[in-house]
Amino acid sequence: MRIFGVLFRLAWRNLWRNHRRTIIMLGAIGVGVWAMIFMTALTRGMVDQMITDSIGVLPGHVQMHHPDYQDDPSIANRISISDADLKDKFDDAGFEAWASRVRVPAIITSERESRGVTLLGVDPAAESEISFFDYEGVEGRFLDDAADKGIVIGEELADTLETEIGKRVVLMSQDPDNEIADRGFRIVGLYSASTKAVEEAYAFIGKTTAQKMLHIDDATTEVVFLGDDYRNVEPIYDAVTSAVDDSVSVRRWYEIDTYLGTMMNVMDGFVLVWVVVIFMALSFGLVNTLVMAVFERVREIGLMLALGMKPGSILGQIIIESMLLMTLGLAAGNFLAWATVTPLESGIDVSIVSEGMEMWGAASVLYPKLYASDMILASGVVLLLGFLASLSPAWRASRYEPVEAITKV
Amino acid sequence: MSAVRCVDLCKTYRQGDQDIKALDHVSIEIGKGEFVCLSAPSGGGKTTLLNAIGGLDIPDSGEVYVDGERIDNLSKGELADLRLQHIGFVFQAYNLIPVLSARENVEFVMQVQGMPAAERREKSNAILKEVGLEGLEGRRPAEMSGGQQQRVAVARAIASRPALVLADEPTANLDSKTADELMELFTLLNKHHNTTFVIATHDQRVMTYAGRLIRMLDGRIVDDIDQRAA
Amino acid sequence: MKIVLRLAWRNLWRHPRRTWLTTGAMVFSNILLVFMISLQFGMYGLMIDNALQIFTGHMQVQAPDYKDDQKMRQIVPDIVPLAKTIREELDSEMVAARGLTFALASSEERSFGIGIYGVEPEFEARVSNIPGLVSTGRYLAESDAAEIVIGGVLARNLRVGVGDELTLLGSGLDGSFAATVVDIVGVFDSGVNDIDRNIAEIPIGLFQDTFFMEGAGHQIVIVGDGLGAVPELQARVQSVLPADSNLVVPDWDELLPGLKQAIQADMGSSFFMYFVLVVLVSFSVLNTQLMSVLERTREFGIVMALGLKPGRLGRLVVLETAMMGLIGTAIGIVAGGIVTSWFTTNGLAFPGMDEMAARFNLPARMYPEINAFTLLAGPAIVFIFTMLAAIYPAVRLRWQNPVDAMRVA
Repeated sequence: MRIFGVLFRLAWRNLWRNHRRTIIMLGAIGVGVWAMIFMTALTRGMVDQMITDSIGVLPGHVQMHHPDYQDDPSIANRISISDADLKDKFDDAGFEAWASRVRVPAIITSERESRGVTLLGVDPAAESEISFFDYEGVEGRFLDDAADKGIVIGEELADTLETEIGKRVVLMSQDPDNEIADRGFRIVGLYSASTKAVEEAYAFIGKTTAQKMLHIDDATTEVVFLGDDYRNVEPIYDAVTSAVDDSVSVRRWYEIDTYLGTMMNVMDGFVLVWVVVIFMALSFGLVNTLVMAVFERVREIGLMLALGMKPGSILGQIIIESMLLMTLGLAAGNFLAWATVTPLESGIDVSIVSEGMEMWGAASVLYPKLYASDMILASGVVLLLGFLASLSPAWRASRYEPVEAITKV
Repeated sequence: MSAVRCVDLCKTYRQGDQDIKALDHVSIEIGKGEFVCLSAPSGGGKTTLLNAIGGLDIPDSGEVYVDGERIDNLSKGELADLRLQHIGFVFQAYNLIPVLSARENVEFVMQVQGMPAAERREKSNAILKEVGLEGLEGRRPAEMSGGQQQRVAVARAIASRPALVLADEPTANLDSKTADELMELFTLLNKHHNTTFVIATHDQRVMTYAGRLIRMLDGRIVDDIDQRAA
Repeated sequence: MKIVLRLAWRNLWRHPRRTWLTTGAMVFSNILLVFMISLQFGMYGLMIDNALQIFTGHMQVQAPDYKDDQKMRQIVPDIVPLAKTIREELDSEMVAARGLTFALASSEERSFGIGIYGVEPEFEARVSNIPGLVSTGRYLAESDAAEIVIGGVLARNLRVGVGDELTLLGSGLDGSFAATVVDIVGVFDSGVNDIDRNIAEIPIGLFQDTFFMEGAGHQIVIVGDGLGAVPELQARVQSVLPADSNLVVPDWDELLPGLKQAIQADMGSSFFMYFVLVVLVSFSVLNTQLMSVLERTREFGIVMALGLKPGRLGRLVVLETAMMGLIGTAIGIVAGGIVTSWFTTNGLAFPGMDEMAARFNLPARMYPEINAFTLLAGPAIVFIFTMLAAIYPAVRLRWQNPVDAMRVA
């Protein structure tokens, strides 16, 4: 291993021998790595937000339902465990962010219009940990407690219904006996969400009020649980599963919203493909540089062989040189990515295509996210593939015949 | 035991559609501490013989012994080790690694041998002083004259105290004054360290420094003169 | 001139490996660009077609602002006769009148809020593919019959099938309570979850009677001979609208702004990626050409000393680059065309794509679309950037002094 020092010194000095070539190559690697990480950060930010938003609105990280609820989201398929029992089960078991809700389809009617909505009967105290929007940001006020008699709807829905805070709307749904269950509400607040579709879809009322309106006593239709990281929901899933019997079904968010689950996996795949594609585009330049470097140095490589250096050391020397080049390029690229993504983390406004982003399921402000794991992945892939790409020119160099190489003009 | 012994060496090259006999049944024996000049016109076979002795080239037939050990049947790796540990080389040109300074070039072989840094430094200092390059240790080859470069090459060749130094036309690119100085240096080192020197050359003046002169022509030895006796 | 060409060609092949590696980078990028651009445009075409075929058509006649609000009272009066007039003017059957409202649909067991279209049964099939997607039962037949076709998911949620009755409850045009009972005659499956869950169609006569429309409706859908003919068709439709009406004729882009924006958003991110690829190729070319100029410094010095102007040498370098660029472009187009053609017949699918595609009503396999644009656009840009990369090495020659140049060993 003592020879490593001399190999490293040779590699480093040789790297700067043709400084223009090295700088161009560093530029290329830097730009490539920057693009890898920058694009990944954008994608991650978009998917993160889509998922966090949707998890707020939709399933939580883990959700519990009546087994038939997913196919038939009706009040008939409510959870058989009473709210009080749920409290015993989960509060005492140390679940921090969880809430039980009444969620049923309903029709909301103003003086002028009617629309189908998803009615959510919630307990504001429990929801504050979980829900997708900021209670402070609600125009007017959010529900005070589970027995609140008011309703909170989205701004977009209020527009469509031509109604406003203080006005009355009628909610119509169905009780367990298939009778129409309806009730008038006064609008107490308007929320805004990251997409219009969400603002149009959900109407919030107090949980107890909902239970009374639907004649379901102390029952709820869903219980949601939130953990720290949407990518790691297994601990909560296991804990919930072991706390209940099979009269309810417990599912993870990606089993409920398969589009999101797929999106996450596809994006993970995309990140890797993108990194590899960029590397391939770089590899031609890298191999080219090494081939030329070896070609120019035939004579001195011959000299080193003649003096008794082992072919393996020649191979190592070229590979070290290539790895040095990669490492410097990676450092530049990672720094560049960090320097460009960090100022953008407060959000990139893409609202000129907001409706288009909504079609993809994304919001109109992108928040790029720089993950250390992505930077490490990109750097790791580049180093590994860079190593493989250097093998051929390095191997060639180590196979020179000293006599021929030294006498080559 | 002799430093170098060659028995019946043959080597044929193909150049175009012509076979050239570079070595044609050559046998020689060189004793320890000898100062030998191999002289021949271009294409006379002296470089081929030198390369065969140095393990850089393998003869078609015959045997080569260095320090009593047969080397013509060694593997590439073993030959590399042999060159590294036992033989010093001085070539006609491009002797030095351009990215290393004079001192680093001298230390190169020792470093590859795995000698500790302090010992290397001590030896390289001594040898650079001995070849008259004190004060130029930090220069890169491109910053030195041809004669200085050859001195560095000589310093490197003897720094690790090899038993045998092979030099191929070491003075070819030097003016006559510098060439004389280099030959004086060789003679000095030969006496001083009792190192065996084999120098291939076609320069008449270089030959006058040699204790023994071997003349070759068309791959054969035509003359072997002990000049000290004369 | 001919000798210059020959000189450039020979110079190019002094280092065949280097030339091939640089060309390889171009070919790699070109193949990728041809494939990706073809795939993208194939997908966009399909996205537009499929989105428009479901409901939107190429243009609609509507009350002003209807497209933004879709309110009950934003009507087109006397809609059926007006649709007839337009059919006659255009001499085309692909014109159909519709009404749209939201109502509560109740079966014996369940109720859901849904969107209800009133359609002209004999013409709806000409403008929408929903009638053709009826998988059980039949489509609507008469304009006044008490019939309904509903989406497959809705049928499941309501627990009904063909032959069952549904009660529709909603508000009429005047805000009064409106109700009717209809027989389910057909169930359609579009594959788009939102549509299959939320939409039902009834005959327009029944729609007008039930919701007190007094002959009015909300939209007349018009389909022409392709998107190119839309502006001309729009003008002709406009000309037959009653002079005193303020009706408007928005085209598909105004009706579904999200569609174009979704495409733009996707194009934006794709073009970023393409740009990075092209830049990396330019680096590669820059590196190669700079090397080739630097290593010939001495040679150039000699010819300059002989009296050749640096400008001509610069042109030689540009010519060499152009030759290399043309090789890369030609091979890239041919190889890209071959790769892409294979996928145009066999299609492309990756895991998770069906989920993503369903959101845009796209098939689970994608087929790239090859045409002159998709085939040539990418390679043309790569070629242009290749030539740009030759500028620096070529200009560098002008700064050179022949004597200095010759001194370089």
